Amino acid sequence: MSDIDIKRISYLAKLKLPSEKEEFYSNSLKDIIKWVDNLKKVDTSKTEPLHNVTEKTVSIRDDEVSKSNSVDDVLSNAPERAQNFFKVPKVVE
Amino acid sequence: MKNSISQIKKALIEKKISVGELYDEYLAKAKSGNNNSFNLVIDRENNISSINDSQNRYDNGKPLPLDGIPLGIKDLFCTKGIRTTASSKILCNFIPNYESFVTQQLLNDGSIFIGKNNCDEFAMGSSNETSYFGPVINPWKNKNSQNDNLVPGGSSGGSAAAVAEGSCVASMGTDTGGSIRQPASLCGIVGLKPTFGSCSRWGIVAFASSLDQAGPLTNCVEDAAYVLNSINKHDFNDSTSSNHQREDYLVDINNNFEKKIKIGIPSDYLEDVSDDILNQIDNTKKALSKHGIEFVDVKFKTTEYALSTYYILAPAEASSNLARYDGIRYGVREDGESLDDIYLNSRTKGFGDEVTRRILIGAYVLSAGYYDAYYRQAQKVRRLIKNDFQRILNEVDFILTPTTPNEAFKIGDKLDPISMYKNDIYTVPTSLAGLPGISIPSGLSKNGLPLGVQFIGNYFEEKSLLQLAALAEKELSFNE
Repeated sequence: MSDIDIKRISYLAKLKLPSEKEEFYSNSLKDIIKWVDNLKKVDTSKTEPLHNVTEKTVSIRDDEVSKSNSVDDVLSNAPERAQNFFKVPKVVE
Repeated sequence: MKNSISQIKKALIEKKISVGELYDEYLAKAKSGNNNSFNLVIDRENNISSINDSQNRYDNGKPLPLDGIPLGIKDLFCTKGIRTTASSKILCNFIPNYESFVTQQLLNDGSIFIGKNNCDEFAMGSSNETSYFGPVINPWKNKNSQNDNLVPGGSSGGSAAAVAEGSCVASMGTDTGGSIRQPASLCGIVGLKPTFGSCSRWGIVAFASSLDQAGPLTNCVEDAAYVLNSINKHDFNDSTSSNHQREDYLVDINNNFEKKIKIGIPSDYLEDVSDDILNQIDNTKKALSKHGIEFVDVKFKTTEYALSTYYILAPAEASSNLARYDGIRYGVREDGESLDDIYLNSRTKGFGDEVTRRILIGAYVLSAGYYDAYYRQAQKVRRLIKNDFQRILNEVDFILTPTTPNEAFKIGDKLDPISMYKNDIYTVPTSLAGLPGISIPSGLSKNGLPLGVQFIGNYFEEKSLLQLAALAEKELSFNE
């Protein structure tokens, strides 16, 4: 196992770890990855990955128009809104 | 013994108690809040129309299956107009404007929600210590150290404690790797995780979508069948919801089996376990042998890989599912100068330590260069685990295991994550295979704390699983 680049991983996860906690998470992650490393010795060369355990649940509904949430419903929990939009800081220069 | 749903319904039908009086009785206990088992309790006036409607149906002699029954709901189910937090800071102000499929079925059947049960943050934990609203306390005490507060298990710890303390008749929980069965075991109650795909996940705050499943925590097996009858239905809004024909789980639940039953006990599960745990298996075996049920030794080939597989797949799915919490559309927003700063600040300040840890594990095993070695390999091993269970279930009708490797431990006792994760050693394999499992209380430890055993059945065979659990419950007579 190579070293864990905690800065890169937290960036991928959109988290900004406080510097005093980086080591804590880095060590914790190392321990866990070492612990799960035993899977590498399992021979899976002839095994397909399993995504859905029951594998027989696909059902297709009729394509009918139905009423769901209104704009106000959707925006009711928005931290900030402006008219019918979620409001965020300016993104385009 | 606490009253069962059928006993309460009988009292309501015979007018020994009104729906309102019943609600008040449970509400008073829920409000006392001694064990922190609720994040939110619903006052009588906010449920008054449901209470009156329910009373009217009793008065007209046409009660619904769960009419007037006060239920707790894990704070992971979206409830329309009622704050739903997943016990996380990032959702502490979230009020859904829709009802989850499962809770809608319970409302349709006349039940009344008494409140939202505390749980581990985003259902990630085995002790209910990761909740933003503080730990839940197990109503049981170790008889040799009465002053210590013990964990109720997790993640549905508030649900289990609430049922055990008598502040709701039953509670809806969710189980990803043992989150219904493990707390049920540590609190001396019944916990059922149905087959994956039985009960719709729509409207449940997602943790690991290929594993999450809703199920009841109850005082007795018959109550679990009552709740399962209500919630076990096909739903088009969940693409993994199975459209098989459901049965009535109450019919025949107290009948003996017509055919000869064979139960497998995996001997590898019982290596290095304490006498307390071994006694549970022995007692259950003795109790059921009287009914001509045969017990055989079975051997899994994949047990040692189950926890590793789970702790790759569940965090991977969690890191994807929790990407939606960004402070833009709902939940708590932390200020930032740019859009990116808002994302980073909201997520970093909004998630607790355990959730952050799992997101990081997930991001790591899904990242370029590690995906095949960890995530894809774990999905392949998951198939081997499923095949292993299918092989065993070709030889036997059910599998019997302990539910947990230990009794309830002290709050604050288990600090390192791997020791905590090992608490789910007996429940995780079943979850990976997607099979139904039920934990029933089987006896007390030397310290006077409840312990449970788990029965595992075949896919969608909850009916016979409940029948077996009811028989074992009667013979073990824990509740008497």
